[in-house]
Amino acid sequence: MREAPLHLKAAAAVVALAAALSACTGASTAKVGRASTALGADGASFGTLPAAKGTPMEGGVVRVAESPGAGPNYIFPITPGANGSVYNAYQFQNQLFRPLYNGPVGTEPKIDTVESLADEPTFADGNKTVVVKFKGKHTWADGKKVTAADAVFFIDLLKAAVKKNASNFGNYTPGYFPDSVAKAVATNDTTLTLTLTKPFNPKFFYLNQLTLITPLPSSTWNRAAVGGPALDASVPANAGKIYDFLAKEAGKLSTYATNPLWQDVNGPFLLTAFNPNTSALTMKPNPKYTGPQKAHISELQQVAFTSESAQFNQLRSGSLEVGAVPFSSLAQVPLLKRSGYNVYGYPGFGFAYILFNFKDKTGHFDAIIKQLYVRQALAHLQDQPALIKGVFRQAAAASYGPVPVAPKNEFTPANATTNPYPFDIAVAKKLLTDHGWDVVPGGTSTCKAAGSGANQCGDGIPAGTPLSWNLYYGNQPAVIGQQVTALVSAAKQIGITISTSSKTFNYLIQNFSDVGAANTSKWAMQDFGGFSVSNYPTTNQIFNTTGSFNIGGYSDPQADKLIDASVFGQDPASVSKEASYLTEQLPAIFQPNADNVLAFSTKLSGPPESFSTLTQYRLSPEYWYFTK
Amino acid sequence: MGAYLMRRIGVSLVVVVGISMLIFVLLHTISASPGRAVLGVHASPASVAAFNHDHGYDRILPLQYVSYVNSLLHGDLGYSYKLNQSVGALLQENVGRSALLTAVALVLAVVIAIPLGILQALRRNTVADNVATATAFTLYSIPTFFLALVLIAVFSLNLAWLPAQASQSSSVLGVLADPASMVLPVATLTAVSVAAFSRYMRSSSLDNLAQDYIKVARAKGLSERQVVSRHLVRNSCLPIITLVGLSLPALLAGNLIVETVFNFPGLGLLFFNSLQKEDYPVLLAYSLLVGVLTVFGNLVADVALAVADPRIRLA
Repeated sequence: MREAPLHLKAAAAVVALAAALSACTGASTAKVGRASTALGADGASFGTLPAAKGTPMEGGVVRVAESPGAGPNYIFPITPGANGSVYNAYQFQNQLFRPLYNGPVGTEPKIDTVESLADEPTFADGNKTVVVKFKGKHTWADGKKVTAADAVFFIDLLKAAVKKNASNFGNYTPGYFPDSVAKAVATNDTTLTLTLTKPFNPKFFYLNQLTLITPLPSSTWNRAAVGGPALDASVPANAGKIYDFLAKEAGKLSTYATNPLWQDVNGPFLLTAFNPNTSALTMKPNPKYTGPQKAHISELQQVAFTSESAQFNQLRSGSLEVGAVPFSSLAQVPLLKRSGYNVYGYPGFGFAYILFNFKDKTGHFDAIIKQLYVRQALAHLQDQPALIKGVFRQAAAASYGPVPVAPKNEFTPANATTNPYPFDIAVAKKLLTDHGWDVVPGGTSTCKAAGSGANQCGDGIPAGTPLSWNLYYGNQPAVIGQQVTALVSAAKQIGITISTSSKTFNYLIQNFSDVGAANTSKWAMQDFGGFSVSNYPTTNQIFNTTGSFNIGGYSDPQADKLIDASVFGQDPASVSKEASYLTEQLPAIFQPNADNVLAFSTKLSGPPESFSTLTQYRLSPEYWYFTK
Repeated sequence: MGAYLMRRIGVSLVVVVGISMLIFVLLHTISASPGRAVLGVHASPASVAAFNHDHGYDRILPLQYVSYVNSLLHGDLGYSYKLNQSVGALLQENVGRSALLTAVALVLAVVIAIPLGILQALRRNTVADNVATATAFTLYSIPTFFLALVLIAVFSLNLAWLPAQASQSSSVLGVLADPASMVLPVATLTAVSVAAFSRYMRSSSLDNLAQDYIKVARAKGLSERQVVSRHLVRNSCLPIITLVGLSLPALLAGNLIVETVFNFPGLGLLFFNSLQKEDYPVLLAYSLLVGVLTVFGNLVADVALAVADPRIRLA
């Protein structure tokens, strides 16, 4: 069963063990605190990861497949929303420019203390002051230290960027970072002090907001033109000019590998070639890298692809060391293994859901879906184990709330570890009949007992109201449609008629994502996929009454209160309480989380976490090595 | 001929303007506010609004069109938000490679299809004709992507004779320097085109072989070779001229399926990806380019037909 407890080993817990094991295996990874033990199947994973093995060989070229049609195309870490993607940030920029706080660790969504530039922050003054201590050992490629001033420089530029246009930073939400920072001061080279506009939950600010900071080389980038004079970026006008210059340079893709700006890095690699047409790129190890692990390999190639099939063909022909295994090709995994690949899959951190439109007045849907028992009945109609087996071909993990069980994380509430609403059509039917509905299996059930009593349909539902509404879903990937079809089929068995219509993802989010009144009554249910979430999985933007993507208009004072505590309160466990409540209240039907399945050559080795983290879209090639 | 040419060019210009308006209106009807699609589900409403305002999507449609035409007239095709490059640069990067792929396939197809069609007509209903017909129908009915995958499976994965992907070089010269990588994509495109062209050529040749002028040529004592080369080929090629003219848009606009399967980024794929991301400036420029090429291809075909058959311009 997918509900089996997870056994992923936390890297921090195995530092000593890794040292011992690496002595046995010959792996030279112990010094960096990475586990070298294998990661076994845990009920959520697709396959297992081998332990680090063999004697590391220095040198060699690793070819990694870029995601088709999603190659990197923005090098400047203040990335506009239009270019914001995990591929730009994690797989490209972060190889060159390290974020203040890096993560995850393997598949676990948490700060990687080994890879971060600073120690865990401290909060004071009623959580209005944040002090970040830099480790002080990292340097830029020009030899200068990475200092707190570089983080202040980033914040100054970011403030200027979002002031010019809110879409200049993909992670920007008004009122939050950087608006939330009233003052940023580099007290000394290793101490950054932030004064906030109001208190934030320390966990939220650490895991969700400080992770947005990427220190930039302030002493070389503080100019508004090539060869121009150094400017004081703390002056907003200067910061604006510097931002404009850097953003303009970032628009010259053909110069990425040659522009000296982008060579002043603090990451493990230097960019040596970039194809602006395909986004294919080549990197070599940064000889001045002062992070925990210098690269063993001599070259990293990120290879561009036009399609999943083209990429898979290259895997099959042995022309890639690392690449994704498309869902449609899972049947060929045994063939891949015989061809010399390890195959491993794990879900990304986030959730997939079918959301309700609590504002849809068509056929009194708003009144119907407001009833918890109706949402519970719908949840009971989803057979997650069957979906995982039949639709996902075992490459998915069950998920029952906004914070999933897998990947393992500190926030999953107890009530989300097993399905609170397991598949049971009889239970779903009983929930309806107990509340005054005349259930007609295969037909259309109607309300026969109008009213707000315990055994009546509920407020605003007149007698004779049918259980009939629409559901729009994304036409890609195909698993969305397959899950919807299964739900609709089960619903019909208790007389709920759900008419479906498939649309493109863009159509759904453009036409059905208005949080304002315009969205009322356009749709009843929709499934566009889901969300990946940050290390701190609050649903502030999604299920908060005032959430910027609360497109279904879910509004629950208790949920709002819990979300508020997650973001602004003191309790580090707030987000678990929020998730627990939402798991129970079902603001949406939570669906299985699909695995991201990767293949990597058996000639390549390294700490298992350096490969498993690929499932979270992260790339840690500095840990990889070919074996002798 | 001059008046005919001027008339056709005038009509073509009107059609191009109409196409630009139609494309503009259609794309904006599909989505009047692309900010959400471009920025994604995580973007705040403030960011979406700022994006739409910054790019003029909050203005009324006629104003947006005027602004677009003004930019076009100044040689500015716009800027791709998603790809972080000017549309002009994107087209420039892709056009050569797409044109090379399709041009080689088109030339090969014509070179193979014309003699094949004539040969089939001259030896109609023989075993050779039937085999060629069956082959043509088979190739014509096979989906391009399937044919491509079969070729990859056989020649790349099983026999390992040829690479599974096309050249990854950005330049045309770079692509030419790696001919082995282009064999399978060119073969795929050529096979499908030969199947179509040869059927047209066979049919046209059969029609012409029944004409009186062929009988007269033979009666004059010309050898069969002279009959074919001097009289049959030129007249039978008229449908092929039209087909080649109509192939011009594909020549530059690219071949989405072949580009996708053989990992050969070109204009077709650029359009497809832009469509998925609703990258407006790219969609507009590409659609306009295809429209212009279609009109131009028709114009070229009409003029070529008029040259080949003077009766057309007189009509």
